[in-house]
Amino acid sequence: MNLSNEYMSLIEIAEKAGEPIRTDDAHVIVHANNIIAAKDIPGLEIDAEETEFGIRASFTVKAGAVLKKPVHLCFGHLGKEGKQIIESRIVLEEGAKAKFYSHCIFPNAVKFLHAMEGDIVVGKGADMTYEEVHVHGPEGKIEVRPLTRVVVDEKGRYVSNFSLIEGRVGILYLDVEVDVVGWLGSAEITSKVYGKYDDICNVKDTIRLSGEKSSGLAKARVVLKDNSFGKFFGEVQGAADGSKGHVDCTEIVQGNAKAEAVPVVSVVHPGAEITHEAAIGRIANEKLWGLMAKGLTENEAIDVIVSGLLR
Amino acid sequence: MTDTPLLQVDEVTVTRENGKKLLDQVNLRVGHGEVTGVLGRNGAGKTTLAYTVMGLPSYRPNSGRIFFEGKDITNLSITDRSRLGITLAWQYPARYEGITVAEYLRLSRKDATRRELEEALDFIQMEPFYLDRFVDKALSGGERKRLELASIYLMRPKLAILDEPDSGVDLLALGDVIKLFKKLIDFGSSVLVITHRDDIASACDRAYLLCNGKVMLEGQPVAVKQYFMSLCSPCSDPLLAGGVISNESQ
Ligand SMILES: Nc1ncnc2c1ncn2[C@@H]1O[C@H](COP(=O)(O)OP(=O)(O)O)[C@@H](O)[C@H]1O
Ligand SMILES: [Mg+2]
Repeated sequence: MNLSNEYMSLIEIAEKAGEPIRTDDAHVIVHANNIIAAKDIPGLEIDAEETEFGIRASFTVKAGAVLKKPVHLCFGHLGKEGKQIIESRIVLEEGAKAKFYSHCIFPNAVKFLHAMEGDIVVGKGADMTYEEVHVHGPEGKIEVRPLTRVVVDEKGRYVSNFSLIEGRVGILYLDVEVDVVGWLGSAEITSKVYGKYDDICNVKDTIRLSGEKSSGLAKARVVLKDNSFGKFFGEVQGAADGSKGHVDCTEIVQGNAKAEAVPVVSVVHPGAEITHEAAIGRIANEKLWGLMAKGLTENEAIDVIVSGLLR
Repeated sequence: MTDTPLLQVDEVTVTRENGKKLLDQVNLRVGHGEVTGVLGRNGAGKTTLAYTVMGLPSYRPNSGRIFFEGKDITNLSITDRSRLGITLAWQYPARYEGITVAEYLRLSRKDATRRELEEALDFIQMEPFYLDRFVDKALSGGERKRLELASIYLMRPKLAILDEPDSGVDLLALGDVIKLFKKLIDFGSSVLVITHRDDIASACDRAYLLCNGKVMLEGQPVAVKQYFMSLCSPCSDPLLAGGVISNESQ
């Protein structure tokens, strides 16, 4: 099958949305359930197979390997309807360091299901950054279900950034659960979502801190306009001595949009300390007025504030 | 020079729903190329006056009019007033997540080069590395206030309203504030400076004393300053001495 057009389109959109995908960098590019391109590099093993509706892939960053450039994953579909299911497992062995950059590209989707089931293991002293950027089209109700389970070992570090800002969200069920089981392990998960029209944005972040002196931050920035709906559920649980966690959520509501925020801070060990902040509502007047006094219109001021928040 | 003042506040009263008068028939003018001071203790209504001139929606006059270069601006929005050349350096500037100092400063002058931004920062004694910092919690209140002055430096408005530029921690010394006035006047701006400190009055061409929303005195800064120092602290008005004007929150 010749998929060179799909390849070119996906590459082009991914480049516009973030870092360009270079052919000599590690990458896996998938259209529907076709692996169009895949490349491993020293220190990274990739094992991928096509399934009925997507792919199943495992990535292993070998012990001590430090990947200088990001590993690019690109999952997309240029069609209007269909379904894509991505199953992945990423393991960073002891002392490994890597950044995975995942682009999910559905520029024409109208009726579509995109589900991802990811298992991530961050080994002892390993350092993993995971960025997931979605590019959706201006129409339709794509359903997006990214489900990620992460385990972080001793002195391991997991940082993730999820962003769904371009185009419509559709229906989102973002669900990330991180268990920081090792001493001095840390996790920092950030989710940025811009809901429009009648988009439905569910963001659920959970961090359990069972390693001594482990730390966790669950951060969400959700902007909702028109008739969209957003719900943030952020839970950080302190379950070990010296564990420290924070939930930080801002939801900006415009038009007829509605928002809910449920920050849950729980402590099951007396030596743990968990805090939270949540701001939900319209943009504060003093922020708008501050910019309007510099000559911006109210709408220009809103754009500046929103783009800063979602950056 | 023209006879029309740059800014003319004419019998302006701003009242709250509960009937409280935040400003009571205030008359004030700022001449072209002048530094005009407004003195008053905490709670006198100085910030209210700044908001009213800037056009904040909840500070629209219940009566009276505001003229700018002879044009009635009483019903203009903040944006419109700003585009006519009025701007305000806030007493407590807002924070903006995800916006860098460089981007923030460029809101005041779109085409400013990196060099010009650095020059503006240098003027208020901030190092160039600040340009890449975010205008959020990472900057102290004092740093954000200085940034407001740098914005004004770049914007070169016709009228710069400075709300307490000389107070608070981590701020400019009096001499630097005076240097800022000079620079703004050189640029062709006029200044309305609001302060509760008497020494700043020395740097003004004319001054007003505001008390309980009313202008008590207007004239030579020395005279206004004298009055302020001798009669206002402690307050000599038996009606006001009971703490009514000294209970401002911050
Ligand atoms: N929005 C408001 N509603 C009610 N009272 C206000 C409001 N804003 C200010 N005030 C009151 O008006 C008085 C003047 O406030 P302000 O102008 O901030 O004083 P200053 O800047 O001189 O310290 C104070 O007593 C203050 O509490
Ligand atoms: Mg004030």
